[in-house]
Amino acid sequence: MNEIIAITIGAILSWINFVIIDIWMGLPESPGVRGAEAIGKSIENRGGDLGGGYFSGNIVCSPDASAGTLLASCGYYAFGSPEGGLIAALFVYFGNRICADPGYAGTTGALSATILIWAATYIGINPQNFIVGMLLAALTIQGIYHPYSSKLIGKMARKMNRKVIKD
Amino acid sequence: MFEEYIIAIVSATVLGLILRLPILPDKPMRNSWMISIIFPTVILAVGFFAIFNYFKVYNNIYTAIIIGIFSAVFSKFFLERVFPKPEIGEQA
Repeated sequence: MNEIIAITIGAILSWINFVIIDIWMGLPESPGVRGAEAIGKSIENRGGDLGGGYFSGNIVCSPDASAGTLLASCGYYAFGSPEGGLIAALFVYFGNRICADPGYAGTTGALSATILIWAATYIGINPQNFIVGMLLAALTIQGIYHPYSSKLIGKMARKMNRKVIKD
Repeated sequence: MFEEYIIAIVSATVLGLILRLPILPDKPMRNSWMISIIFPTVILAVGFFAIFNYFKVYNNIYTAIIIGIFSAVFSKFFLERVFPKPEIGEQA
């Protein structure tokens, strides 16, 4: 398959994988640590959505499904087989525990990404396409314009019943 | 290849039940720190066995059983000590 098309499909699959799992696991509901709260409030002050801000903050402060997807892609590429993704899931779990996070989002993201990559290899999309794709997917949320991306995440979170929990 | 993974999962689950680990974390699961059989004991068993399976050294049924037992014992007795739950003051 053409590399540009493969990277585009990899980016779309990675984006859907990490955004859906992270919202499902409640990242927009509350900040896990103080750093995530600071990032969320900062994004809200710049015209963004608080839930989307907490989502971005939680992603920065602990390895969630975004890191799980990226590390599963790297593991799959490095080991050349799905074992790499399973080993990545194990280490993402340990990383989560170190970062004051119970670890559901990161581990689930790594395992689902491993399954996605394994299935995608049958249509000619390699793990390296997923590595680049995941970087592009994370860039759309974390790197271009926080107010828009946080509003999109906030809207999706409300649809999935994962609103910000007020104290 | 898949059989050994299933044996590792079954071995971890059986010993987890004997050690009286809960099958699922308490609800809401996404915020729960409870150590259970499904999460993380089975994940640990699969991850540890993947390391042995990849390097083709001891990728057999006996290793799968031992990895399952190790994962359940590690989850029950050592996980909370090695990776402790954060104190309330450390969280936001």
